Amino acid sequence: MRSAQAISILAPVLLGIVVLALWQGACRLWHIPPYLMPSPSDIAAALWHDGPALLHALLSTLEVTFAALAAAVIGGVLVAFLLVQSPLIERCLMPYVVIMQVTPIVAIAPLIIILVKTTPVALTLCAALIAIFPVISNTLQGLRSVDPDLAAYFRMYKASRLQTLFRLRVPSALPMFMAGLRIATGLSLVGAVVAEFVAGTGGNSAGLAYEILQSGFQMDIPRMFAALFLITVAGLALYGATAGLQRAVLRHRA
Amino acid sequence: MSDTVLSLDAVEKVFPNGVRGLAPVDLTVRAGEFVSLIGPSGCGKSTLLKLIANLHGPSAGSLRWWGSDFRGVGQKGRRLAFVFQDATLMPWANVGRNVRLPLDLMGVDRASGDARARTALARVGLGHAAERYPAQLSGGMRMRVSIARALVTEPDLLLMDEPFGALDEFTRNRLDEEMARLCYQDGLTTLFVTHALHEAAFLSSNVMVMAAHPGRIHARYAIDRTIVRDEAFRLSERFAEISRELAVLLEAASHESHLAAEMQT
Repeated sequence: MRSAQAISILAPVLLGIVVLALWQGACRLWHIPPYLMPSPSDIAAALWHDGPALLHALLSTLEVTFAALAAAVIGGVLVAFLLVQSPLIERCLMPYVVIMQVTPIVAIAPLIIILVKTTPVALTLCAALIAIFPVISNTLQGLRSVDPDLAAYFRMYKASRLQTLFRLRVPSALPMFMAGLRIATGLSLVGAVVAEFVAGTGGNSAGLAYEILQSGFQMDIPRMFAALFLITVAGLALYGATAGLQRAVLRHRA
Repeated sequence: MSDTVLSLDAVEKVFPNGVRGLAPVDLTVRAGEFVSLIGPSGCGKSTLLKLIANLHGPSAGSLRWWGSDFRGVGQKGRRLAFVFQDATLMPWANVGRNVRLPLDLMGVDRASGDARARTALARVGLGHAAERYPAQLSGGMRMRVSIARALVTEPDLLLMDEPFGALDEFTRNRLDEEMARLCYQDGLTTLFVTHALHEAAFLSSNVMVMAAHPGRIHARYAIDRTIVRDEAFRLSERFAEISRELAVLLEAASHESHLAAEMQT
């Protein structure tokens, strides 16, 4: 069991090292210029050199990500609770929830950025709109996934609406909600980057997307890769954090 | 008469689709009795249980609780507890909080709720398991928790609907012995629905053999209360005799149900 675990960690790490080595070797062997395809060492140098500026940009992207995630979770949970109240409400609202989901937010992002004057708010709104759907649908499905026998038990003991909500529905919904949260966290980061691309805001609050755009314009491809690397690391960290949270919250369940 | 917990007087049930679920049924459960309902499917066991649980009302006849009509007593006045075929525990709550649930729903404060939950768990031999979670328990232990959750309300009557059907035979026998102890030593009055003839023979002080089309009580069979229900009883000639006699009654009830079904079609 222990060795199987070690292999499942070691194998992908080893593969990564081999790919990096081949990449580095190919760049050296064929003298590929860094503005076409930088070698891993070029990227590492860019990361070292531009680190502080890129980290500053990353922080600003993460600010948007977390604000969007918070908005998506609060908004999504509220909408799910509203939808589950009555079939009529659901029938009225659900088509619009779906319309919102199938509309590519990238397409309406310019509109949002025009309509909402404050750029950080506009960015957050775009990212939240991308992240909210899995929260709504998973919470809704979770609130409905109550064990019917347990629900019958609550009815037999004349549980009040509030008791049924907090002692039965909410805990029953938690596994589905946590799965939704995990998806929404990844989408918030995607949303933040996409919104930054569309807004193209520079200045002090410029995010990583802006850094990538700028690096492209300036043909500073190693810097572009370095920014990409930071986004990936941030994405992995967020994924790990939500996966850990999910495990912690659901640790006693089968 | 004063020790009659539950009495059904000519209770009938006709469903909205016109099907007669129950022909007039008379049934009395006295304090400390273990009454089993056994019979072929469609004999109205579940319908009867739902009437007693007040999940729906009778079409005719009356149900009495300690001698007073059900409608007068109200849900709060009937101290009933339920155990289903599945343990139906909350997977997110530990054993102690699962057992405390009915008290929580009734508004009992936490401290006395916890104390009563511990007592109930001790009665089913799980005094040590209050902090564990359902996922960590075996099927038999989960069922014990479910029984403790029923005991915690100190019910006048425990309704059990095929509670051990999903368990293996060994676990089932242990739990049957546990139930016998709770009834015959601690005085827990129980109404028990089962498919298993040997379980009814082992546990009951009274067996109601039911027939179908419409659901009715075909025969009543009393078993000496003073028998000690233990492993030795299960192997005894007396147990074999009871099982044989019940098998004959059940066979006749099934045969009648088939005839009645053919008459209807």
